Amino acid sequence: MAELAHPATGAARTHAGAKRPWIRRDMLVAALFVLPGLALAILFKLVPLVRTVWLSLQETRGFEDPAFAGLANYRTMLDDPAVHDSFRNALIAFATLPVWIILPLVLAFLLFQKTPGWKFFRAAFFLPYMIAPIVVGIMFRQILAPDGPLNALLRTIGLAPLAIEWLNGPTSALLSLTAVALWSFFGLGVLTYLSGLSTVSEEVVEAAKLDGAGFWRLLFHIIMPLLKPVIGYWAVLCTSGILIWMFPLIYALTKGGPGTATVLPEFLVFTTTFQFLDRGLGAAIGMALFVFVALVSAFVVRRMYVEGAKPK
Amino acid sequence: MKTAAPHLTVSSVRMALTRWLVTIVLVILAVVTLYPLIFTIINSFKTRADYSADPLGFVTDITFENYLETFERMQVGRLLLNSIITTAGGLILSTVAALFIAYAVTKLKIKGGNYIFLFIIAMLVIPSQVIIYPLYETILDLGFGGTYQGLIFAYAAFGLPLGTYLLSAYFRAIPDELIEAARLDGAGDIRILFSVLLPISIPAIAALSILNFVWMWNDLLLPLVILGGSDKKTLMVGVALLSGQYDVSIPLISAGLIVALLPVIIVYMLFQRQILSGAIAGAVR
Repeated sequence: MAELAHPATGAARTHAGAKRPWIRRDMLVAALFVLPGLALAILFKLVPLVRTVWLSLQETRGFEDPAFAGLANYRTMLDDPAVHDSFRNALIAFATLPVWIILPLVLAFLLFQKTPGWKFFRAAFFLPYMIAPIVVGIMFRQILAPDGPLNALLRTIGLAPLAIEWLNGPTSALLSLTAVALWSFFGLGVLTYLSGLSTVSEEVVEAAKLDGAGFWRLLFHIIMPLLKPVIGYWAVLCTSGILIWMFPLIYALTKGGPGTATVLPEFLVFTTTFQFLDRGLGAAIGMALFVFVALVSAFVVRRMYVEGAKPK
Repeated sequence: MKTAAPHLTVSSVRMALTRWLVTIVLVILAVVTLYPLIFTIINSFKTRADYSADPLGFVTDITFENYLETFERMQVGRLLLNSIITTAGGLILSTVAALFIAYAVTKLKIKGGNYIFLFIIAMLVIPSQVIIYPLYETILDLGFGGTYQGLIFAYAAFGLPLGTYLLSAYFRAIPDELIEAARLDGAGDIRILFSVLLPISIPAIAALSILNFVWMWNDLLLPLVILGGSDKKTLMVGVALLSGQYDVSIPLISAGLIVALLPVIIVYMLFQRQILSGAIAGAVR
């Protein structure tokens, strides 16, 4: 049907092309239709981005008028230990990426095999993702408190030495933050993998089982190769998540502390701009963050474009 | 087949064991997932004295005092109204703008439609954290400082790429003949969009609206920066600011948290099926 329709519309177009005013009216309608969206995208995304670039080239101190300063902010940024710390913290957080990728995969695979109650578990695992990160952060500030439920649990099961001040040690604070983020987002991973698994035919799984493949062999040798694109997509999401989803969690859990132990780049942009009122430096750090985020999310955009663009 | 029978019983015992093990692991994880919420709900019904005597135990006598105090201190009524106005505004504006663009790039045979589509979804690479101060400045320059419109426009812009993507995908699956037929009946583009395509696209619009509702309702950075200092701040900003005050007890802030997340939990319970099937697409914005 679609093939039949194409020549027909093509003919209609050349016919309309003969009458010039019609084309103009079409273009006018099209322009009016794309205008609101384009205006939103340009005014509230593109213009602020360009202004960020411009601001990053300005010397700004407090409420004084900014002055052009060339690359001074970028030079300051490269020498700033706080900036180094924030990117180092991001790197440490990235080191946990395998857990972000494997844990939801294992869970999704368990649910995929229609374990009793899988619908309940799926709903339960996804619930944290629905809760506002700021609320998640405040909840976990209480749970991870020195006399909070986590430490109480550790003490009752005889692991008292592990009952530490989770949010107050330089290493434990960053790991706690990452763990809370994982708690908050892993349900999305389970759903992502489940949708990928639904394309895997059950015969493949059954055949492998008859060959005597155990759970882990099945997972690593049969399922993972089949799900490569989904795993890649989820890895990209997690990477951008570690870069840009953490702000409310940091705000609620640690405010970046102790010291700079839990300052991630996005939080540093916020504090530099609004707390230390150095907007030029904040913009420069923002641009450094933008380079990484743009590289990562370009993959997502490419995927969406390939799937969503009009076939030629 | 017969020789396989003893094997089958051994392996079926093994299978039963694994089943149990798997279920236990899943149950433990579900408890880990749900416990923070349960802990917060229990605390929200405890008195201050009750909480300091036994912070981790069950609630002995239920009090609604915390909820009453939260409503007063956080001005929950006002914040709730602010959240509803900005979320609804952002949601509607974003969806309408996306509808128009999706229609233009999929159904109007315009040159460069693909480029417009690409331009809009490419806006995904610009996160709010990077441009936050210039975005705030731009909103001030446009005269929307401290107004609902400022946040509504920002929400709409940040929700637009996903909306355009989802609705374009949906529109593409609708045959062009339907539109040609409506055109022959003398319908204009606006009428085609709103009385032919819109009714068919309700599932896509519903999924999109749920996704947008969740992130707009839950967002912190945009409302904090754009409306943080004014009396138009949203519920999440209110909760964040309340939790920073030193005289706030844990039962009190717990009640605040429950008030803030209740609307989302209700939506989750009502639309669980749609959310679970549509969430994957919504992870980007």
